[in-house]
Amino acid sequence: MEFLLFLLRRILWSILVLVGLSIVIFAIARVVPGDPARMALGPTATAQQVADLQEKLGLNKPIVEQYGMFIAGLSRGDLGRSLLTERPVNDDIRDTFSATLELVLATITIAFVLGVPLGVAAARWKDKWPDTLVRVLAIFSAVTPSFFAALLLQILAGYVLHILPTTGRLPHNMEFVAGVTGLLTVDSLLAGRLDVFGEALRYLLLPATALALATMGQIARITRSSMIDVSSQDYIEASRAFGVPEPIRVFKYMLRPSFVPPLTILGLEFASLIGNAFVVELVFAWPGMAAYGIRTILQKDLNAVMGVVMVSGVFFVLVNLVIDVLVGFVDPRVRIRGSR
Amino acid sequence: MTKHRLLAATALSTLMLGAAPAMAVTVTMNTVQIFGTIDPAKISDYTDYMAAVNLYDGLVSVDSAGNIIPELAESWTVSDDAKEVTYKLRDDAKFADGSPVEASDVVYTVERLLRINQGPANLFAGVLAPGSVTAVDAKTVKFTLSKTFAPFLTTVPAIFILNEELVKANEGSDDGQTWLATNVAGAGAYSLKSWDRGSQMTITRNPDYYKGFGAGPIDEVRWIITNDEATVRSLAASGELTMSSQFQSPDTYTALEGMGRFTIAKEETSTAFYLKLNSKAAPTDDVHIRKAIALATDYATIREVISPGGVLSTPLPKAFAAFHADDIPEPVYDLEAAKAEVAQSKYAGAPIPITLGYVAGTKFEEEISLLMQSNLEQLGFVVTQQADPWNRITEIAGKVESTPNVNQIFFGPTYPSPDSMFFTQYHSEAAGTWASMEWVQNPEIDALIDEARGTGDTAKQADIYKTLQHKLVDLQSDVFLNTQTVQHAMDKCLTGFKAVPMMSFDYDFTRYSWTC
Repeated sequence: MEFLLFLLRRILWSILVLVGLSIVIFAIARVVPGDPARMALGPTATAQQVADLQEKLGLNKPIVEQYGMFIAGLSRGDLGRSLLTERPVNDDIRDTFSATLELVLATITIAFVLGVPLGVAAARWKDKWPDTLVRVLAIFSAVTPSFFAALLLQILAGYVLHILPTTGRLPHNMEFVAGVTGLLTVDSLLAGRLDVFGEALRYLLLPATALALATMGQIARITRSSMIDVSSQDYIEASRAFGVPEPIRVFKYMLRPSFVPPLTILGLEFASLIGNAFVVELVFAWPGMAAYGIRTILQKDLNAVMGVVMVSGVFFVLVNLVIDVLVGFVDPRVRIRGSR
Repeated sequence: MTKHRLLAATALSTLMLGAAPAMAVTVTMNTVQIFGTIDPAKISDYTDYMAAVNLYDGLVSVDSAGNIIPELAESWTVSDDAKEVTYKLRDDAKFADGSPVEASDVVYTVERLLRINQGPANLFAGVLAPGSVTAVDAKTVKFTLSKTFAPFLTTVPAIFILNEELVKANEGSDDGQTWLATNVAGAGAYSLKSWDRGSQMTITRNPDYYKGFGAGPIDEVRWIITNDEATVRSLAASGELTMSSQFQSPDTYTALEGMGRFTIAKEETSTAFYLKLNSKAAPTDDVHIRKAIALATDYATIREVISPGGVLSTPLPKAFAAFHADDIPEPVYDLEAAKAEVAQSKYAGAPIPITLGYVAGTKFEEEISLLMQSNLEQLGFVVTQQADPWNRITEIAGKVESTPNVNQIFFGPTYPSPDSMFFTQYHSEAAGTWASMEWVQNPEIDALIDEARGTGDTAKQADIYKTLQHKLVDLQSDVFLNTQTVQHAMDKCLTGFKAVPMMSFDYDFTRYSWTC
């Protein structure tokens, strides 16, 4: 019962956040300088052509009415047409979201697989050289901007060593159409195309690593401090006194409660990367939604901007909801607090 | 060994063994912005046109000298009053699906263009009306103009002919706009192979192209969308890049040239670089102030160091040789003469506030603006720098009061006629865009532009355009900085790049060949 109440509060809060987001982004999109109709039609369009398109887009209507039209479309699942690509925004987002999602999933995997063991090792050998090394590494990776990491990796792997591809998702001469999920790694396995799977992984490696560095550093540091915090608890001291073998003590009794903070960070990072991957996407010509979003902002492509922000927002809210539930599941104290 | 050399070596060895045919030639080129649309009724910028000139053919095309050359049409005739133009289609003209190109396709294409009223439609506003294009017979089509419009022949290359039957089969409820946004229904030399918006577009040669191909044809063209210099260098180093965009940094051109595989192809273009002076706002509403700014401009430094290009002495680049007023001298940098002009102005004797506008984030424009500031401050100007993102510039250009005094703008012809340069920038009907930030709005200038449009006599047109140049130089509508030099790093095996005075027609890859 308490868990249901906790879940209900979280869902209601999420809906409020999304409504607020839609109002704020709608207002911002309207006050950002630039005339979308003029930008869409090019420099030589006549004033009449611009006026016609403004009317067609409803830009002459009062702002409240425009917002009403937007919400009505949103309720039908229709985000309107993009001025930049001349297609329904739904189609553009469908095509680009899977590329970003694949990149972010790979990023999170790399960050988690590298970050957690590093954090555990640092905690296990606290104040000794492995700890120092991990802390230095973590600080460096956390403070290195992702665009710098992207350029550095690209120059090293593509320009100097020629070992990894530097742009796109697949070789241009490789024929493969993404299917069910839009994730090339998954769809290629489903289609039994191991050659495509291998190439998709190769193409993912550089951008995902560039994007993962900062998250990896954070996860390593938080895992370390969390593990150290748990290791000083009475029950861990007791298990040590009872002679419980170290591997069991570390991985069974310490790691699970230590997981809560990194899990929260991982969730937040996962959600924010959906919108923040654009720098890396632009560097690696990765056809993702974040880069699409940036281009639509520069073109003042109103429907597309709204669409990208709303999809990112929904995703952010959903991931947070899942993380809250997971954390509540792992740590009962959270759901007791949340249901009050 | 680079990828290209490896391909070449492989091809050579297989030929020596008497085996398979030569490898397909793929040209990989980077471009700095995405392809927005490939619908011929909506294309508007240089990337859209770059795809369109390869995927579609028009009745006519343009060569590097700006001449109109036959394409789907083998010939055309113009009536004595210049109001009727009749095109005769080639007998062998056919679409990519093999169906013949007929007059009805041309009629359908133009009607659809006028209905949608976007993209190239602005070229025909007030010139073509619904019903003004008729099929005389299956291979003859007649355009009846609403008024005499001298540049008409030069605007026709922008009409890319659609396969009526194919579009109608997919027209849906929006005149085929959704379908043509991602599909091709043309007679071009290339077909769309793949298009991953945001990252790449690949087009592949249509082997049955009705005009055929010359020696060393390009089998595939792949555009990679990236404006990142490091990415371009990586692509070049890995052997993947064949041709760079025209917007790379000098360092990147140098680096690519240093690799040994590339040559830097440079061409003078008909795109001009101006300081557009707002003639309706103080202090640039005074002609003496405008002349002072022109005299305080260090042309040599800008042309040779900051933004390389050719000499521009009038609003019209020298590429329009027959119409260019050669008797107008090159602008000079003379601070003493500039001081004398300021002294003659109504603003003399007090500090003169002035705003210098440029595109935010554009390094060379910032350098030019700072150079102008240092010179203008010596003349008693109080300078405010105004860096705006491009979106903002398109908006502030819409009103006199929000247009800065000085504006750095590139402008090139959208069709190979001086009219494209004069009407869009200086005619009152075209006021309120970033291309017309001078706010000239002068009845005499308007009348001359209209007169040139209304005469079919080329000699008379040339006289009018020369008069126009003199008048605009006298008004000092702009500071004429330079003509843009376009450059590409190109694989030494790739030839055929020649600048064409019409948007992106220099990227028609049937004009390129692979020589290795």
